Amino acid sequence: MEPEVSIEGSSMIQVAVIPIGTLPPNILRDYYSMLLPLHTIPLSSIRSFYTQHHKSPFSHQPWDSGSLRFKFVLAGAPPSPWDDFQSHRKTLAVIGILHCPSSPDLDHVMDLFSASCKPYNSSLVHRCFAFCPNDSQLEEGGKKEGNLRLFPPADRTTLEFHLNTMMQELAAYLLMEFEKWVLQAESSGTIIKTPLDSQASLSSEEVIKAKKRRLGRAQKTIGDFCLLAGSPVDANAHYSTALELARLTADYFWYAGALEGSVCALLIDRMGQKDSVLEEEVRYRYNSVILNYKKSQDNAQRVSPITFELEATLKLARYLCRRELAKEVVELLTTAADGARSLIDASDKLILYIEIARLYGSLGYQRKAAFFSRQVAQLYLQEENRLAAISAMQVLAMTTKAYHVQSRSSISDNSLHNKGIGSFNADSGKISHQSAVPLFESQWSTLQMVVLREILLSAVRAGDPLTAWSAAARLLRSYYPLITPAGQNGLANALSNSAERLPPGTRCADPALPFIRLHSFPLHPIQMDIVKRNPAREDWWVGSAPSGPFIYTPFSKGEPNNIKKRELIWIVGEPVQVLVELANPCGFDLRVDSIYLSVHSGNFDAFPVSVSLLPNSSKVITLSGIPTSVGPVTIPGCIVHCFGVITEHLFREVDNLLLGAAQGLVLSDPFRCCGSPKLKNVSVPNISVVPSLPLLVSRVVGGDAAIVLYEGEIRDVWISLANAGTVPIEQAHISLSGKNQDSVISYSCETLKSRLPLKPGAEVTFPVTLKAWQVGLVDADTGAGKTFSGSNMRRSKDGSSPSLLIHYAGPLKSSGDPPTDGSTVPPGRRLVVPLQICVLQGLSFVKAQLLSMEFPANVGENLPKLDGINNAFNDGLVDSETKMDRLVKIDPFRGSWGLRFLELELSNPTDVAFEIDVSVKLENSSSEDNQFSDQDATEYGYPKTRIDRDCSSRVLVPLEHFKLPVLDDSFFMKDTRADGIGGGRNASFSEKNTKAELNACIKNLISRIKVQWHSGRNSSGELNIKDAIQAALQTSVMDVLLPDPLTFGFRLVRNGFESEKPDPEKESKNVESPAASKGSVLAHEMTPMEVLVRNNTKDMIKMSLNITCRDVAGENCVDGTKATVLWTGVLSDITMEIPPLQQIKHSFCLHFLVPGEYTLVAAAVIDNASDILRARARTSSAAEPIFCRGPPYHVRVLGTA
Amino acid sequence: MATTACFIIVSRNDIPIYEAEVGVAAKREDAAQLHQFILHAALDVVQDLAWTTSAMYLKSVDRFNELVVSVYVTAGHTRLMLLHDSRNDDGIKSFFQEVHELYIKTLLNPLYLPGSRITSSHFDTKVRALARKYL
Repeated sequence: MEPEVSIEGSSMIQVAVIPIGTLPPNILRDYYSMLLPLHTIPLSSIRSFYTQHHKSPFSHQPWDSGSLRFKFVLAGAPPSPWDDFQSHRKTLAVIGILHCPSSPDLDHVMDLFSASCKPYNSSLVHRCFAFCPNDSQLEEGGKKEGNLRLFPPADRTTLEFHLNTMMQELAAYLLMEFEKWVLQAESSGTIIKTPLDSQASLSSEEVIKAKKRRLGRAQKTIGDFCLLAGSPVDANAHYSTALELARLTADYFWYAGALEGSVCALLIDRMGQKDSVLEEEVRYRYNSVILNYKKSQDNAQRVSPITFELEATLKLARYLCRRELAKEVVELLTTAADGARSLIDASDKLILYIEIARLYGSLGYQRKAAFFSRQVAQLYLQEENRLAAISAMQVLAMTTKAYHVQSRSSISDNSLHNKGIGSFNADSGKISHQSAVPLFESQWSTLQMVVLREILLSAVRAGDPLTAWSAAARLLRSYYPLITPAGQNGLANALSNSAERLPPGTRCADPALPFIRLHSFPLHPIQMDIVKRNPAREDWWVGSAPSGPFIYTPFSKGEPNNIKKRELIWIVGEPVQVLVELANPCGFDLRVDSIYLSVHSGNFDAFPVSVSLLPNSSKVITLSGIPTSVGPVTIPGCIVHCFGVITEHLFREVDNLLLGAAQGLVLSDPFRCCGSPKLKNVSVPNISVVPSLPLLVSRVVGGDAAIVLYEGEIRDVWISLANAGTVPIEQAHISLSGKNQDSVISYSCETLKSRLPLKPGAEVTFPVTLKAWQVGLVDADTGAGKTFSGSNMRRSKDGSSPSLLIHYAGPLKSSGDPPTDGSTVPPGRRLVVPLQICVLQGLSFVKAQLLSMEFPANVGENLPKLDGINNAFNDGLVDSETKMDRLVKIDPFRGSWGLRFLELELSNPTDVAFEIDVSVKLENSSSEDNQFSDQDATEYGYPKTRIDRDCSSRVLVPLEHFKLPVLDDSFFMKDTRADGIGGGRNASFSEKNTKAELNACIKNLISRIKVQWHSGRNSSGELNIKDAIQAALQTSVMDVLLPDPLTFGFRLVRNGFESEKPDPEKESKNVESPAASKGSVLAHEMTPMEVLVRNNTKDMIKMSLNITCRDVAGENCVDGTKATVLWTGVLSDITMEIPPLQQIKHSFCLHFLVPGEYTLVAAAVIDNASDILRARARTSSAAEPIFCRGPPYHVRVLGTA
Repeated sequence: MATTACFIIVSRNDIPIYEAEVGVAAKREDAAQLHQFILHAALDVVQDLAWTTSAMYLKSVDRFNELVVSVYVTAGHTRLMLLHDSRNDDGIKSFFQEVHELYIKTLLNPLYLPGSRITSSHFDTKVRALARKYL
């Protein structure tokens, strides 16, 4: 069989083109390419070379329109036994191609040429075209006669013109030869045989038959020559005769041949026309041709003319090969393919399949074409030699498109780009099924694997390591789930073996392993955060950073986590990092020699790293690099050097793969099968590189470790900032952020500002005062937890530390840059200095309670000074300077000595000892105690209390100046009128109202109490127990804070006038010499006494007073039978009225019979009590009498010595 | 039953979503591959042929050597393709119809994504039983 057969092929003159002497292949190819366009030589152009020797047998030669057609066969075709059957199969001319510079000896070359022409015994013309002869050769060749044609060196067009002329000469010569041959054949009548006839020549019957057939065959051959001579009309006439004769002699084979010739003549005659009538005619005649060829092989012969039948089928198929007639063509081609089994010669089969594949291809049936191409490749592979393997490889490479396993190098950038657009659509928004599917269309993995395996096999045999590598890489990458671990290992070996034969640094378009996907772009480390600068504002950083606590805002478009719109800013010269995830889903150890980011924009220096991946493992690695110049940066993927070859792995492709895996379109997700968690689709944000910015680096002086503080501890921390960039810092501002901001008491922004501009390399240190917050009160017992307000509950977690936010920026215009546009200002930066405070639980507060003590007063010559609070009770140790003395105070509104402590119970669960230092700061308040000499902002320290580890202790905080001077209805009545609520419920309301008032008072008091602690050398702080104190005070505030309505006091009356005008001197004397019978009374003496009753309210109080005297045993010693005290005056039911805020004296005398200790108590029943009094006494009904009792007064009665 | 039969369902996107060798002939890997190659190539013919007729069953559309490709095209352009060497046209038609019904049942499964691989073992069992019955 011959390749590329067509119906018109019968009119082509076969010319062998053979290289003569040594001829480099590329030069031969060059000359051959010049020859190829000369396949059609018009008859009109050969006239000048044509000389009519005798009358031409081609009487209807179309000299104006006709032409001779040539078919150039490089290196010639071997003569076949079927040559006589169809003249166009004969090699009718030989053209030798000679490249003179490489073969200088022309004589020798001509000998070679004649020798080469020998095998072509059917050739009528021999020509040797010698190119590029030198002068001597030209001279020598000019003398030579014969077949040598010299082409002097010239440019290509001249050469082509020259060659054209030579071909016209050759064509004219051939035409004359054809005429000669036809004339001879017509006269003599040659016997023409085919292999079909050779067997039959033995029988005489057959000889007679052959003689009969001879005429028809001769006519057919003459027709062939007419066709070759370009005269279809003559040919047709001869074919008609031949057909008639062949039909008569039942010479089916030759009949079919003549019919074929006649169709060719028809087509040549009607060159350029193509109508349905003609097509129908051709189809009809060719079907007949095929039928007759089939008939001819009925007789069981050793040689079968099936190839002619198949060729005829292919010819018809090629003629009809149009989309509209696809069905018919497919039918023809299927029949042809069936015929392949009857073909004995392997090369015939090869040609058949090639032709079928070509025809399917031109029909647009790519898959069919691929199928037959693969059959061709298999035939080639059966040959088991390198050239065949190369052919197989090339043929298989053509099928890859149909099977969708193309190498990336063969896909044009355009189609890649289109696919890319699809994937971008998939990235944004919801991924619809439809958008993902086209990416995986026609993924027929079984076939794809087979094809790739065959490419690999043929490439290995053909010795093409790059193709082998590429095929193995595609196979491994796309189909690893379908390959056994052993097979995967084999592929890995194939990759390594191929790489060994490749020069180092070879690049391949097809990536192998590992799979690489973008993991994340780490945000700038907080030290390097970039903030857009608003040059119009003083606080230029405001509004640039996302503010507010909301991650999601309903106003942002698209998905909240869509980071594609995110802009990333990189800075020239500052290293950046990108996290990528690698996966090795195969069963072998994968060694990635180097991997780095692939940046096409050229302004980025990527740093390679090497990784090794265990079988079925994935790894997130950090790839880094440095932007080198300003501009946008795009990162489509990574460059990987693995298995000895450099490949580019695009992130987009893996994303598409994962998308397909998620929808069940792809076999498996390489990352999931390595146990890597599912990751959101990360797309590359828009990255732009900006010029250098300043860079602040912070350091906590004394180590960057966490600052360990106990609760309430106050400490200074020094923070050092250094400019590590190359640009000075011109603007800086410090603010606070994060939780527990109130724990930063102060920071020195001025220190930093005073050092601006901070030159590169400069450093500044400033202090920050910290106060540790409370550790979460989770452990506190529930009771206590309830009393402390919920707002105080702070959960201590990681990240609860505050941070210093330092916004800083370089100069507004960078000096190095040309002033391009004023609108763009280099951005500023933000440095977050996290103050890593670790708060340890310090002293823990257990409970607080208010303790109140009362000491009875002694009845002395004078009343306890109502306002002389400074007086000491303890007469033995009177030292006005002793601080302890101050603890005991006379309660002016109660009359007795009262002592109040706030008892704080503290425990120390830590492992260090604490020292507690309580101090009360006295302020210049508006209270009545302003006589107090040293009260102005003095602090009273009390002895320190030490609490050892794991111990608890109580600390007493003395409270003073605590009573209100007047029992005023303002406490109770304030809001009743406004509320318009009746008096019956006044009490409860007024208490509420009072509380607000009191709370302010309490707070004032509490704020003066400071409980400070020290631990170790440098830990000190303050306990935050304000709430606890308030809670403790709240319960007993009414009793403690409000004065009784009446104050009772007793005193001795020595002289009548003494009481009237208390002598300060005497007073002081008393103080100085308390031993002088202060408050002592002798027995058996009349002792005049006075009781003083003071009204503390603003109302007149009417009451009846009773005075009782009790002895040590508590017996009433005034009344009763065993009275030991005699008295004069009234002691009971003394009715008196006291005007508001006044006091009234009532005098009486007592006579003690027995020395000892006595107690005087005054009590009163108030008549017509007001609401205030009722509220104070907490009575429920109005009828209940209000009883008011004074504090006891001690009287020491001395015996008469 | 046919000695060689390879049944494949090809989705409208030309992705094989189900494949089964249902012949009684000894399984050979290279033969199975060839079967798939033939079926894949026949898609070209089916592509043109499907629009020329309203019938779903396209009968035999293609052949290679002794192997014949019969195709049944569903309304959604899913192609049920059978490569066989027997000439039991009626059986094949019934086989296709019943498999089509099975396929529709699979499609009704809300968890099945149309166009993805059919991995149901129940489907596989049923198809093989139908092949034994009809082919």
